[in-house]
Formats: sequence, structure tokens, C-alpha cells
Amino acid sequence: MELTSTVFTAKAIYVGVIFAITLGVAAYSTYFERIFAAFFQDRVGPDRAGPFGILQPLADAVKMFMKEDFIPANSSKWLFILGPCLSMFTALMTSAVIPFGDTIDLGNGVKFDLQGIDVNIGILWVFGIVSLGVYGILVGGWASNNKYSLLGAIRAASQNISYELAMGLSIISILMMTGSLSTKAIVEAQQNGHWNILYQPVGFILFIICAFAECNRTPFDLPECETELIGGYHTEYSSMKLGFYLFAEYINMFVSGAVMATLYFGGYDYPFYETVVNSFGENVANLIGFGALIGKALFFVFVFMWVRWTLPRFRYDQLMNLGWTGLIPIAMFNVVWTGLIILLPAEFNLSSWASIGVAIAGIPVLIVGLFIYHSIAGGKKKKTALAR
Amino acid sequence: MQFWYFLTALTLISALMVVLSKNPIHSVLYLVFTFFCISGHYVLLNAQFLMAVNIIVYAGAIMVLFLFVIMMLDLRRNSPDSKTNLTKLAGAVVGGTVLVIFIAATRKINLGTGADNAFYNSQTGMVENLGQILYRNYLLPFELVSILFFVAMVGAVMLGKREAGERNF
Amino acid sequence: MNAIIALSLFGITNLFLGFLNNRKILLPATLLFVLIAFGLNLADWNHEYYWFHNMLKTNNLSINFTSIILVATALVVAISRGFGNDEEHTHPAEYYGILLFSVVGAIMMVTFQSLFMLFVGIEILSVAMYVLTGSDKRNLRSNEAALKYFLMGSFATGIMLFGIALVYGATGSFDINGIGNMVNQAKLQDIMLNPYGPILYGGIILIFVGLLFKISAAPFHFWTPDVYDGAPSIFTAFMSTVVKTAGVAATYRLLSISFPAVYGLWGNPLVYITCLTLFIGNITAVYQQSFKRMLAYSSISHAGYLLITVLAKTPTTNSSILFYSLAYSIATISAFAVLMVVSEAQSKSGKPDESFTALNGLATNNPFLAFVLTVSMLSLAGIPLTAGFFGKFFIFADAFSNVSSLFKTIAVVAILMSTVGIYYYFKPIIAAYLKKGDLEKIELSPIYKLTLIITTALTILLGIAPDLVKNIF
Repeated sequence: MELTSTVFTAKAIYVGVIFAITLGVAAYSTYFERIFAAFFQDRVGPDRAGPFGILQPLADAVKMFMKEDFIPANSSKWLFILGPCLSMFTALMTSAVIPFGDTIDLGNGVKFDLQGIDVNIGILWVFGIVSLGVYGILVGGWASNNKYSLLGAIRAASQNISYELAMGLSIISILMMTGSLSTKAIVEAQQNGHWNILYQPVGFILFIICAFAECNRTPFDLPECETELIGGYHTEYSSMKLGFYLFAEYINMFVSGAVMATLYFGGYDYPFYETVVNSFGENVANLIGFGALIGKALFFVFVFMWVRWTLPRFRYDQLMNLGWTGLIPIAMFNVVWTGLIILLPAEFNLSSWASIGVAIAGIPVLIVGLFIYHSIAGGKKKKTALAR
Repeated sequence: MQFWYFLTALTLISALMVVLSKNPIHSVLYLVFTFFCISGHYVLLNAQFLMAVNIIVYAGAIMVLFLFVIMMLDLRRNSPDSKTNLTKLAGAVVGGTVLVIFIAATRKINLGTGADNAFYNSQTGMVENLGQILYRNYLLPFELVSILFFVAMVGAVMLGKREAGERNF
Repeated sequence: MNAIIALSLFGITNLFLGFLNNRKILLPATLLFVLIAFGLNLADWNHEYYWFHNMLKTNNLSINFTSIILVATALVVAISRGFGNDEEHTHPAEYYGILLFSVVGAIMMVTFQSLFMLFVGIEILSVAMYVLTGSDKRNLRSNEAALKYFLMGSFATGIMLFGIALVYGATGSFDINGIGNMVNQAKLQDIMLNPYGPILYGGIILIFVGLLFKISAAPFHFWTPDVYDGAPSIFTAFMSTVVKTAGVAATYRLLSISFPAVYGLWGNPLVYITCLTLFIGNITAVYQQSFKRMLAYSSISHAGYLLITVLAKTPTTNSSILFYSLAYSIATISAFAVLMVVSEAQSKSGKPDESFTALNGLATNNPFLAFVLTVSMLSLAGIPLTAGFFGKFFIFADAFSNVSSLFKTIAVVAILMSTVGIYYYFKPIIAAYLKKGDLEKIELSPIYKLTLIITTALTILLGIAPDLVKNIF
């Protein structure tokens, strides 16, 4: 009984910590987004609330809460409230299966996993929850009873389901490398520097592009487009309901950063792990691993912001074209090539360096293939254009 | 067992609401909820893979397309009740008869004493075992289903292309 | 089995042939593919194989059914004329590709050993047919037919799937032999004391609702006239031959292997369904003004004739079904071939005229077409010296050889109904020979003409010497 209650308390504390970290990171992402934007555009940025403006998120939150909570007269009231709730809910659920760290020894031989729950379908869980994220936007957009909201919602939803396909296909390559759906197993297979990014460069590029689209971030932030759609799906929202939508976006960024770190960057793996274990003990080493994962995730959050303030956005047809005719075929290629990456070294008893070599050789093959395809298909397109 | 009853009641109620609610959008959302409840049943059966796939495919993809179409059509405005009372009556009689027959049939079933522990394997629903069976015993249907999807895909593209020229009867 | 693999690959090849700018190559290529599949199919003759963990089973019966399906497909492909010469709007490569895929589904339906394969086969065939029914996109009737077929068909497959689930729940097996064994055991005990008996019964009935829908037997026939009428004629010909043969074969296989022990359960309902099918099919066909719609109703009535021998389960049932399917398929295809060219020649403002009046005076300028039409109609009506006569003869003989007096009643109903059939099958013949019309001479392509000659010759040959194929079956 003693054992279960210890684990239970530890789990409760762990969940609380993860929750706090997620929300805190999300809150301060808004601040850093503005700081980085200011940096990229050579201006000062928020600097009034507190030293360097670090109290800005608090001020924002107060502002959000104080505003009038408005529900449009002709809207569907319950669904209008349900929309932002669903968005927030799905954003927070994903982190349950991400292994934030290895085990911690609680004493008395009780080992505690730094992971919400290790289901044997971990990555499918992430995928399922991400696919549900659409509902928050669709429901909210429809319930607003506003043309622009609806159009924004439909844009967001079609974008999400289009890019989910390529995302799923790029995950399949990871599954082929690991042979398991469990996130824990995927991370454990990458320990000691065998990070998947070395074996799956193409897959990672696909995944990060899809992650941008799934989070509705620039260059794929078509759902909210002032010139065309006013505010997109949250045009009618105000106060903390709007806050939930915006907050969910930042949480999604952080969580997808954590997922990318888990899938491609070794999760909680970091260099000189053995040295740390020998000199400070396992618990400290694993807690540093926890920090390493958060650090990797935060780096990806930075990449998200970096891209946002560097690249212009796509046009909507370009976005659909890229998703369906660009990413999905490349993801297919990647699946086939992953088979080669796994098979060749196994067949000829080569080291893992050979797999990395094959993986990197895949990039020029892909580029040459794309070039040949475009020279053929492009010629055909020109021909039909001339015929008309 | 208690939880099973709760989940089943929830499933049935939400499934009924799919049919009973006037607003098609509400129907779709109830249907999504029904899929969640069914996924809950899969979890109770320790079939986690089916649970995840059920959510991804049905709730995450197919129902989103449903919502799409219904939102675009805006069914609230033009939904005249085209069925006459006679059709409704006939439908009720036929459906009711089938229901009664099935209740009468299932009433006779002897459910037995529950799972047979000798043959019970908690790992049956796990994705590894599912994969073993799918790629060994059921390899042929698995491969041939791809033809089904291929036909559906080719057909959808073919029918979806707009043709020039007048429509006629 | 080899035919299934080959046809799947050929279907994809066909789609790639669409990239070539030469559309003329498609018809001969598809014909060649079907003939190769025919050869591969015959390679297993006189062997019994189980394929891929008892998923499929090929024996002489299934090879015979597959052969009939492939012959019918080859004939339909031969009269397809490249699916029109309208350069911009049609997609002939896709049509041929989907046609080959649908044959894969049909072959799965006649060789299945697991109910899985039955379901997948039916779905492949049906989905392909939904698409082909709606392939005339500018025609609203075609659109309507496709939607109607799709909605009704998917409900029917859903019901059948539910039935399969119930049967699996009751017997714990998808294998039709395994199900047969379980049903036998259940029969040995008192059926109502068997804990899963009621579930099994419900499952069997639901499976047959789905299958009878596919062969358009009477209470489930409502989709047939509209769909057959709306679909482009070439695909109607395919539907009323290949789909019907495959459906009847699947029904027969399931009934004769899995459920003979519980004949008392499904025997009586199916007898009534058969009588109803014969009655509705033949009586309604009398009132039709459109030749194509008449052929749709006649296909319903032929489903009824085929069900008689499925039910009679005499030792000669195998060969009777095979012979009837072959005779019916050949005659129907030549009827549709004539209908297609004539209705196109008579088209008013771009819309083909498919009524009986379109046939008026066919014999004056086109004696060959009129002769082909006459032979096919006589064969469908069951007049002696045509294949259809012996088809009906074998079936009635089966019915009379069954000891049950019920079958004598059915046979009498069937004979009465075939006399009704003579009335409406003679309508086109009368129109062609006795009525006056201003139909010009219709030019036929060589392959079209050859096909008509083959079907007509086969119909007459089988009518004179049925033993030629009866001995093989």
C-alpha cells in the first residue's frame, strides 16, 4: 500500500509540475515572441512592466480577464463556449505521453517514471489528440454565426487534416526504425547519441513543416488573415475565451517542440550522461535529462518564432499544393528509403555509420528525383497550356 | 463493471441524440462523442491500438469532413420534411419489427459465466499481436483492401473532375 | 488466385496506359489482359488449392464461374468501342482500369473461403460499379443512378457486415467450412437450446439480405430499374452479367457449404423470395416502354430463375447454374450491344433513344443487327434451339427432381412466368421486323461485328448441343 501511495503522490506532483511548466512556458512565449519580433525588426519591444518588461504576460492576463466576456446574440451559446475549451483541452492532453525524463529513484526501491503514462501506442495518442484539435476551431468558428469565422475555421480544419497525412507518414518512418509505438521505447532507442535526426533528416524536415501547419503558425497562418478573413475563426471571441485560443496555440508550440525532441532529438538524452551518473548519481543525471528535454523543446519554440518573423506566408492554394502534391509524395519516398536504411546495414553487417550514410544519400536522390519529375511534368504542363 | 454500465449508457444516449437532435451540426458532434465512447469500450477490452485508430480515423478525419460539408451546405435553411405520414408509419413498423425480432433473438442467449481464464490473454488487443495476425493470417484481405481504396480513389478523382458541356437528362 | 493478382496488376497498367496519347491501344490491351487472366485461371484446372491461410479456395466450380465472368468481361470490353471518341471529356483508361479491378472483386466473390474475402470482394465490385454508374457525368439520370446505387448499396453491405459479425460471434469462425461445422454441431443439439443459435439465425438472415440485394431479388430490387436505366449502357451490360453471376455464385457457395444443415431456416423465406422475384420481374417488364428498362426487369426475373436451382440443391445444381449464367450473359450482352448502336444512331439532341420505338424497322437496313437481336431475345425468353431454352430446361428439371412438392409449385410458377416473358421479349423483335422505321444502315467496327457473331453463334450452338459445355461444368 505504501508503495502505491508514494507513486501516486509522486505522479500527482509530476502532473502538476508538467502542467505548470507548460502553462508558464506558454505565458512567457508570448513575451519572448514580442521580444524576438522586436529584435528581428530592430526595435525595443515590451519594456514597461517590470524590469525588461518581464511582467508583461501578467499584465496581458489581467487585461484579458478584465475585458467584457461577450457572446454574440445569434450564436449557438454552448458550442461557442465549448470551442475554446476544446482547443485548450486538446492542447494540454498531448503532454501526457511525452517522456520528460528517465526514472527517478524515490528511495525504498521505488522507481518513478518521469512520464505521465507509458501506453504502448504513445505516438498514436499524440496523433489522435492532434487530429482532435480541429474540433475546437471548427466548433468555435461555426458557433460564432459569422461568415468570416466560419471560413477561417474551415480553412484551419482543411489545412490541419491535409498536413496530418504527411505528418503521419513521416512518423511511420520513425516507427520503422524503432519497431514500437511507445514514446518511451522510441526515446530509449535513441540513447547515447543515436538520435533519429541522423537517420531521418528528410522525415524531420517533413515533420517540422507539418508541425508549423498543425499549429497554424506562419508561414501557414492562413486561418487568421486580416485582409481576407478579419480575425479568422476567433473574430467574435473576446476576453479569456480569446485568451484560451491564443494560449492553446502557444501550448501547442511547446508541446510539438517536445514531441519533435522526443522523436528526432533523443528525448532526454544528452552528451556525457555517463560522466554525470558516475559523479553525481542517477537521480541528478536524470533530472538534468528532464532539463535537456525542456531545453530542446524551448529551442523549437524559438525556431517557431524565428520562422514567423522571417518568412512571408503562403497563399492558400500554394499551401494545399505543398501539402498534397509536395509533402505526401516525399513522405512516401522517405518511407521507402527508410526501408533501405534499415535493410542495407543489416544485410551486409555494417555499422550504424553506414545507416547514417544511406540516410544522407537519400537527400541527393530525392533532389535528383524531384528535379527529373519536375522537368517531365513541367514540360507536360507547358504543352497543355500551349494547346489551349 | 460499474464503469462499463456508465460508458454503455453514455454511448446509447449520445447515439440516440445523433438521431433526435434537430440541428445537423449537433448530430455530428454527438456522433463524435459516440465514437469516443466506443473508443472507451476498446480501452476496457485492452485494445489500445483500435482505440487510437478509431479516434484518428473516425473522429479525427471522417467526422471533420462531415462537419465541413454540413457547415458548407447550411442545412438549417432548407430542410422541408419531405416524408409523408404513411412513409413514417411504414418506417416505424419495419424498424420496430426488426427491433422486436432482434430483442427476441438476443433474449435467448446464454451469456455464460464470463471470460474463460484458460484462454484469456490480456495482450490480444495489443498492436504487436494485431500486427502479427494481420500480416500473417489475414495478409491477402489486407493487400486486396488496397485495391478497394485504390478504386475508390480513382473513382473520386474521376467523378470529381468537372466536365465541360451541357447537362442533360 | 493467379487471375486475381494478374488482374490487379493489369488494372494499374491500364491506368498508366492512359498517359500514352494513343487511346486506340486501350481496348486491345484490356482484351489481352482479360484473356491472359482467363489462361491463368484455367491453369489450376482439376486441382483444389487453399490460398493464403484459407482465405480463398479454388476448385473446378470456382474456376468455371471465374471463366464465365472473364468471358462476359471480355465480351463487354470488346463492345466498349474505346468508350467514345470525345477526346476531352472521357477517361477511357480509368474506365478500363476500374472495370478490371471490379473483375478482381467478382473473382473474389466466387472463390472466397473466408467471409472476409466475401466482404472485400463485394465491396470492390460495388464501389467500382458505383463509380462506373455515374461515369456519364453530364447526364443527370446517371448521377441520380450512381447516388441511389451508392446509398442503397452501402446500406446493403452494412447490413451484410452486421450479419457476418453476428455469424462470427455465434460460430467463432470466418472460414465457411468452419462455420459449416459449427452449424452442424449446433443442429445436432436442439437449436433453441444452443446459447448462440438465435444470433446465428439473425446473422444468416442479414447476410442474405445483403447478398440478395446484390443480385436484385424481389423485395430488394427497387434500385435495379433506375440504376440499370441511368447507367451508361455498356456498364449496364456489365452489371447485369458479371455482377449477377458473381452474386449468385457467392450466394450458392455460402448456402451450400456453410448453411445446408439449417435448410429449414432459410429455405422457406428464399422460396417466397424466389416466387416474388419471378412474379415482379416478369409482370413489371411487360409494362415497360423502354428497351433498356425492360432488360433491367428481365435481369430481376433471371435472378429468380437462378435462385430456383440454388434452392433445389440437387446434384446437378452446379452445372445448371453455370449453364444458365453463361447462356444468360451471352444473350444479354448481345442484346445490349444492339441496343447501344441503335440507340446511338437514333439519338435525339445528343440523348440516345432507348425505347422500343427506336428499334422500328431495324430489319430493313440492318438485317444482321435484327438477327442478332432476335436470337438474343429468343434465348432470353427460352425458346428451343437457343441456349436459353436449355438453361431454363435444366433449372426446371432440377426443381422437378427435388422431392419436396413445394418445388413443383415453384416450377409451375416459373413456367407460367416464362410464358409471360415471351410476350415482352417478342416486343423488340416485332418492332424490328414488322414496324416501319427510317433507320439508316449502321456501320459496325470489325471487332464489334466479330463479338456479335461470336455471341450469336454461341447462343445457337449451345441451343443445339448443350452437352458441349454441360459436360465440362
